[in-house]
Parts: sequence; structure tokens; C-alpha cells
Amino acid sequence: MLQKPESGALPIPQAEGKDGGRDGETQALTASQEEAPSLLLQESSKEDLGAGREEGAAEPALTPKGARTLAAKALARRRAYRRLDRTVAELVQFLLVKDKKKSPITRSEMVKYVIGDLKDLFPEIIARAAEHLRYVFGFELKQLGRKHHTYILINKLKPLEEEEEEDLGGDGPRLGLLIMILGLIYMKGNSARETQVWEMLRRLGMRPSKYHFLFGYPKRLILEDFVQQRYLNYRQVPHTNPPECEFSWGPRSNLEISKMKVLGFVAKLHKKEPHHWPVQYREALADEADRARAKARAEASMRARARANQRAGIHPW
Amino acid sequence: MEEGRAERRRRTEAPSCTQGGARRAGIMTDVHRRFLQLLMTHGVLEERGVRRLQKHCYRVHGRTAAVEELEDFINNINSVLESLYIEIKKGATEDDGRPVYALVNLATTPVSKMASDFAENELDLFRKALELIIDSETGFASSTNILNLVDQLKGKKMRKKEAEQVLQKFVQNKWLIEKEGEFTLHSRAILEMEQYIRETYPDAVKTCNICHGLLIQGQSCETCGIRMHLPCVAKYFQSAPEPRCPHCNDYWPHEIPEVFNPDKEREAGTSKANKKPSRSRQH
Repeated sequence: MLQKPESGALPIPQAEGKDGGRDGETQALTASQEEAPSLLLQESSKEDLGAGREEGAAEPALTPKGARTLAAKALARRRAYRRLDRTVAELVQFLLVKDKKKSPITRSEMVKYVIGDLKDLFPEIIARAAEHLRYVFGFELKQLGRKHHTYILINKLKPLEEEEEEDLGGDGPRLGLLIMILGLIYMKGNSARETQVWEMLRRLGMRPSKYHFLFGYPKRLILEDFVQQRYLNYRQVPHTNPPECEFSWGPRSNLEISKMKVLGFVAKLHKKEPHHWPVQYREALADEADRARAKARAEASMRARARANQRAGIHPW
Repeated sequence: MEEGRAERRRRTEAPSCTQGGARRAGIMTDVHRRFLQLLMTHGVLEERGVRRLQKHCYRVHGRTAAVEELEDFINNINSVLESLYIEIKKGATEDDGRPVYALVNLATTPVSKMASDFAENELDLFRKALELIIDSETGFASSTNILNLVDQLKGKKMRKKEAEQVLQKFVQNKWLIEKEGEFTLHSRAILEMEQYIRETYPDAVKTCNICHGLLIQGQSCETCGIRMHLPCVAKYFQSAPEPRCPHCNDYWPHEIPEVFNPDKEREAGTSKANKKPSRSRQH
């Protein structure tokens, strides 16, 4: 019983809980619910989380009653830790499943379907989930912008060379089409009119609303899927009559690919070198420099955090 | 440099995120991560495909490393996955016993993996089909019987024509198998949902007398009613001159299938459709 029964994402009702142990756990937690979260935050910095020693034994038992209270607290604490672990595990699964659709996941979704009443521990839960995702699966959990509480997963494994590419089914051709559109947008100065995109498709032998055996309905793929997955931004151009719309790179595209890479793709397509387009080449170089700086900054802050954690005695994972 | 140390720690130690003292034994490298990612993409994979996948991951990420024996490779990954309550589970196809692998939830979670791909009424259609399959004698539910339940579905109203396409979607996504207009569970669904099925339908569920696993398709004794998976029948009666029911000792009336031999495989992936035995007259 990992998921909450009321959650809308899981319409199949839970099997009648036969696990008496778990029900007992829930009761114990309700008794010490107030204590458990704050205890976790305090104790985690003091305890060796991996050792699992008996708290009752380590601390001096003042009186029989005192010892019993200590033991009860220790038990409640352990159960709370286990509940926390399970919630982290559920969140990892939830993120993996949601990310398959490539749509961003919101914090409120996570709280609603997975975290529930542990929502005060959201920062710790999501940090641990992120570390699991990185260590076990090679995904990085990225927050889209500081204000929005939406997240996506980025693949941190090195991108495959063409020869190494395994047949991933439907994804390959779609991403190829996406890169063509990103290339068009970039070469046109970081935004392209909708009409220009359909024109390019026409040159490739595709009609926006005609079913294509590889892409399905191109119009739906581009206007709905790619936009929803944050690969493309789509907005109305102000002061146009009749109203026109334009595409630009979405935040996921900026995270998953770079201007230099896209320029390289366009160059290969035209059998030329990237610097054949000096303006775009200079812009791509500047973008590479920005990325290198951002990466250095992120690494520095990670080092600083690791040092601070070490000083406070907090074990990272 | 803290960063380098953190990197090295990541490579050699698994995060010990659980209390209770169990130390994680596994080591994750990009070889294992790529393997997991691609296995997740496939949903379920036959052993042959899994070996190819493993070699592919070594080629891409670990040219110098020796390719680990598959069983150890998977056990290594599973020891790391334990703290996430998931595992790479090995099963076998019910009709011809091919070993298959899928990444499954260890706890009882109903079709949550499907929940992201299907709408509420589609999931309810799957649930209806699942119930018909489990209740059936042969392990198959006819398309007609499933479609007749379309009016009872939760969520948005679904027409029969639409339901037919949804059933095809289930087949494409490897949750159902279709044979001659009838549907049964894909090995992926059995691997992922066995625990959920046992807990949700404890009275209707059938199990194999030999391996005690969940049984959807199989053969049954006409005298005492015990059932066995086809590959379990094949293994149990492999060298028996006269097949007899392990429970009541009566003569076993059905055709004994052959034990799955991976070396005899020639067709890539089409064998499932071509292989006999057909389901008729098995029960």
C-alpha cells in the first residue's frame, strides 16, 4: 500500500489491507505524529543513520518508566524513518512514471499523490529522491525556474553516438523532427513564425494535419506535445493582424541541448562548417561560455554545501 | 577537492538512505544506469534482448570492463534497487516458457505504471478485462465479452469502437496479448501485477501446482482440477514415459509441450505467434 487510496491517478481501489503490521504502524505514528517530523530533523544530524543501534541501550535508562518511554520513542522514530524512506521511494517511482510522458511535474501533484501529510518534509524528501534518481538511474531532477514549483528529469548519461544508438522505438524520429525545428528557430534569430515551421514541414513532405506514419499528426505533435513537454514555447506575436504565432526554444530544450550542438546539426545538414554563419556561431560560443560559467558556479556551491554539511555532521545520503 | 571525493563516493558507495542497518552492497556505474533506463523504456524484455542490452551498455559506457555474468549483474542492480522497493524481476512467458525480465514494484501497487498512459475509463476497461481473464477457464476473455461491459465503465463514456482501439493500445504497450479475437495477460502484466492480483482476487485466482506462481494460461487435470503452467508441464514431464497428474496420479490427458531451448531459437520475436500449442482443449 504505497499510494494513497484517494489519489486520482490510481483509480484501481486498494486491496483490503491485510498487513496488520502496517496498520499498527499508522496507529503508532498518529500517537507521536506531532513529535516525529521535528524529531527526524533534529536527530538526523546527530545519529549515524546507517547503524541502526538501539537508542534505548545507548542512552542511560534513568528509571524503568524512563527506559520504556525512551524505547517507545525509539520505536516511533524508526517507524517514522521507515515511513520517510518509503515516501522517498514512492516519489522516485512517481517521478519516473510521470517523466515518461515528459510533462513537467508540479510540487502540488507530488504532495497530493505521494507525500501527503509529510509535506513539511518536502525539501528533504525531494532532495533524497533526487539523489536516488541521480545515483541509480542517471537522471537529474531539475527545477524549472526559481518561482515555479515544477520539475523535470534530465538524462545525465552521456548522449549516444549515432552508431551506439539503440532502437528506442517512437522517440527517435520525433526528436529528429524537434531538432530540425530548433535549428530553424535558432537560425531565424531565436524565434520562428508558425508559418515558417509549416513551410519547412511541407518541404520535408509533411502536412500539418495529415497523419504521418512516423510522427502521427505533426500539428498535434508540435503544437501540443512539444509545447507541453516544454521543448518549445508558442506565443502570439503582439500587434499582428491577422494574429500570428511564433515558436521559440522551451526551457527543456535549453537544458537538454545547446545552441552549439544545434548549429552543428544545421551545418552538417548543409554540408558546411558552423562558422559559415558568423552571427549564429558567435552567439553559440557565448552560450557555451555562459554554460561553463554556470556549471562552475553550481559546482562551487555544491562543494560549499558539502563542506557545511560535513561540519554540521550531517551525512549526505 | 570535495567534488572529486563526492564523485568517487558516488561511484563506490550506494547511498545508505535507510535506517535499520542494512548496508547496500551494489555499485552503480553508467553501465548499470543505462541498462536500467533502457529496460524501463522497453517495459518487459526477453532474456535474449536483455543480454544484448547488457552488452550494448558495456560497449557504450564501460569498454574496458569485463561483461559481468547476467545473473550477478542483475543481482548487483537489485541490491541497490532494494531501498527503492523495486526490482528487476525474472519470469517466463506462459505459453512457451521464454524467460523475461521487467522492472517491477515490490509492494502492492495497482496499475500505477499504466496510470500515466491511460485515462480513467481506459484503466477501468483494463480492470474489467482483467477480471474476465482471471475468472475464465482458459485464461482468455473474448473481445465481445469485454466490449459488452463498456457501459459499466467509470469516467467518460466510451463507445465500443473506441474500446476496440483501447484494447489494441493495451496490446501495443504489452499489457495484453491477443490471440484469435481473445485477450489474455502479457507476461509484463503478470510480472508487475501478480501480487496485486493475488490480493484483489484471492478466490478467483489460480496457481500452478508445480511452481506455485500465478496462473492465467495452463493445463488442468480433468480428475482433480489442479493446474500447471505449460512450461511447468514441459519441465515436469520432460522424461516421463507416461505423464501422470502429480496430485491424483491419473493419466495426464493433454499434449506435453517442449521445454524452451534458447539455442533452438531462429526466428526473432515471431516465434510467440507461430508456436503451438494452441489454447483449445487444454482445460
